[in-house]
Amino acid sequence: MRGVLGHFRELDMAVEAIEELKRGDYGPITVYSPTPRHELEHVLSAGPSAVWKFTLIGGLLGVTFGYWIAIWVSDYWPLVVGGKPIASWVPYTIIGFEVMVLVGALSTVAGLFINSRLPKVTHTVGYDARFSHGDFGVWVECDPEDASKCEELLRAKGASEVRRER
Amino acid sequence: MAAAAKPVDEARDLEVLHRPNIASADVQLPAVRDYEQVDNEISATLSPTGAWYIGLFTAATFLLIGIAAWMYQIYSGLGVAGYNPPVMWGVYIITFVFWIGIGHAGTLISAILYLFRAGFRTTIYRCAEAMTVFAVLTAGLFPILHLGRPWKFFWLIPYPSWRYIWPNFKSPLVWDVFAILTYLTVSTTFLYIGLIPDIAVLRDREKNPVRRRIYGVLSLGWRNSDREWRHFARAYLFLAAFSTPLVLSVHSVVSFDFAMGLPPGWHTTIFAPYFVAGAIFSGLGMVFTIIIPVRKWFRLQHYVTLNHLDAAAKLALFTSLVVGCAYMVEWFIAWYSGLQVEQDYFWNRVFGQYWWASAILYTCNMVLPLSLFSQRLRRNTTWLFILSIFINIGMWFERFVIVIPSLSHEFEPWQWSGYRVTWVDMAILAGSFGWFSMWFLLFIKQFPVIAISEVKEIVKPRLRKPHDHGIDTAGQHLAFERETPGEHE
Repeated sequence: MRGVLGHFRELDMAVEAIEELKRGDYGPITVYSPTPRHELEHVLSAGPSAVWKFTLIGGLLGVTFGYWIAIWVSDYWPLVVGGKPIASWVPYTIIGFEVMVLVGALSTVAGLFINSRLPKVTHTVGYDARFSHGDFGVWVECDPEDASKCEELLRAKGASEVRRER
Repeated sequence: MAAAAKPVDEARDLEVLHRPNIASADVQLPAVRDYEQVDNEISATLSPTGAWYIGLFTAATFLLIGIAAWMYQIYSGLGVAGYNPPVMWGVYIITFVFWIGIGHAGTLISAILYLFRAGFRTTIYRCAEAMTVFAVLTAGLFPILHLGRPWKFFWLIPYPSWRYIWPNFKSPLVWDVFAILTYLTVSTTFLYIGLIPDIAVLRDREKNPVRRRIYGVLSLGWRNSDREWRHFARAYLFLAAFSTPLVLSVHSVVSFDFAMGLPPGWHTTIFAPYFVAGAIFSGLGMVFTIIIPVRKWFRLQHYVTLNHLDAAAKLALFTSLVVGCAYMVEWFIAWYSGLQVEQDYFWNRVFGQYWWASAILYTCNMVLPLSLFSQRLRRNTTWLFILSIFINIGMWFERFVIVIPSLSHEFEPWQWSGYRVTWVDMAILAGSFGWFSMWFLLFIKQFPVIAISEVKEIVKPRLRKPHDHGIDTAGQHLAFERETPGEHE
C-alpha cells in the first residue's frame, strides 16, 4: 500500500484538502480524526453503515431461538397443569425478548468488528498516535506518479506535515 | 473563537448557586478549550492518589468482612441469616433488588438519554455505565448467597441439569436468569464498546511498554479512521436501542418475582412500572453519590458542571414523583379492593409492625426529594450528595417494605410473624458495598471516568477560518459560538 499522508492541525483545512483530493480522484482516502465529525462524514460522503443487517439478523435469530427453546422444552417434558396449553406464548415472550436483545446486541458488535476490520493486529500504514490526541490525518492511497501532486496539494491546503508512506 | 475558553480556576468560580433555567439537551463545556486539554485532564485521573488507596483498602476490608460472614453462613446454615418461617426471603433478596435497581440509572443515562440526545449525559455516562456493570455484578451474587447450597447455583442455568429435566420456562426465577445474564452481558458490552476509542487514546499516550501493550490489545488496534467511526456510531446507536427496552424489561422481570406470587401486597399489576421507576430513582441517587466526590477529587468541575447535575437532579425529582404516585396508588387500591387481607396488611405495614421502615421509606423517597424543586438546592452539590445518601437508604428500605411485611403478614394468623436482621445479613450487605466499590475504584484507575472521545465531540475543533467552508455546525455542535447562553452569568 503506497500513498501520501497529510497531517493537519485544523479541521477546516483537512476538509478542504479532502475535497480537493476527491476532485482530483487520486485514490481511496482515509481520514483519521480524534472524534467523529459531521464535517468529515459529509465531505467523504460514505454510504450508510451495514451494521444494521447484522443487528436485524441477530435479533431475528435470537427471538426465534428464545421462543423455540422454551416451546421445545415444554413439549419434550410436558407438565400439564389444569388442562392449560403446554406451550404458553405469554411467558415465553420474556425468554424470546431477552434472547433477542442478547443475540442482537452481540451481532451488532460482530457487525462493528467485521465492517471496521477490527481487531487490527498489524501496524496501519499512515496512522500516527497524534490522530487520537487532537490532530487530523488525511491518507490518500495513490500511484507513485501522483504522489508529488498529492504532496503539493496537501501542503497548499495547510498540512503541517506531509510524507510518503508504504 | 478561543475567547470562549475559560481557565480552569475561573470555571470553578462559575459554580454560582442560582442562574436562569437551562435546557438540558445541549450542555456545553466553556472551560474546555481544545482536544489536548481533554486528553491531558481526563488521563490525569488515572494516576493513583492517597485517597484512592485509602478507598480501595476500605472497600477490600468491607469485602473481607462479607466473605467471612458468608463462610460462617455456609458452615452454619441459612438459619444464621435471620430466616424465620414463613419469612424465607430476607436481606439477600432485598439487596439483590436494590443492586439491580442501582444499575438501571446507568443504562438510562448511557442509552436512553443517548437516544433522546440529552447533552448532559456526555460527561456523566461513563461513571454511570461502569456503576451499572458493577451493580449488576454485585446483584448477581445475591441469589447465590441466598441458596442453601450455593455450589449448586449452576442448576439455575437453563440446560438439562438432572435426568434431562430442563428449568421451567414459566417460572419467574428462570426469567430472572435470562434477564439478568442478558443485562450483564449487554451492559458490559456497551461499556466496553464505548471505551475502545478512549483506550486507544491511552495506548497512544502511554510510555510504559507493558501498559501500552495491554491498552493496545484492549483497544483492538483502533485507529480513529473514518470507516471505524462510521460503523462505531451506528453500532453504538443500535446497542443503545437494545439497551433501552432492556432497562424496562429487566426490572419488570424482577418485579414479576413478587407479582406472580399471591402474598398480599405483591399480587398487583402496578409492580412492573413501579419497580422500573424506583430502579431509575435509586440509580440516580447512586450516580450522585459517586459522581459528586469523583468530580471534586479529580478536579473535574468544569467537565461535570452544575448544569449537568441540575439536569440529572430534575430527572431524579421526576422519578421520585412517579415512585410517590405509585405508593399512593398502592394505598388507594388496598382500600378500594375491599379485601380484608390486603387492608390489614397495609395497615400493618404503614402503622403497625413495620411503621418505622415505612416512615424511613416515605421520608427518603417522597418527602426529601421534593427539595429538588428548588434550583438552588439542585445546584448545591453538598445537598445533592446528602440527599443521594438518603435516597440510597430509602430505596433499600422500599425493598425491605415490599419483601418483609408481605411475608410476615399473609392470609392466616399462623403466618403472622416477625423478622429480625442478623449480623450475618448486615456483614454481607456491607461486603456487597465493598465488592462494588472495589471494582469501581479499580476501574477508575485503569480507564477514563469521562468519555474522552464524546467530550471531544462537544469541544470545538481547531479551525483556521471560522465559519468558512460551509462546515456544518448545526445540532449539538455550536463550537463556533463565542459564548454559550446560560453557561456564564
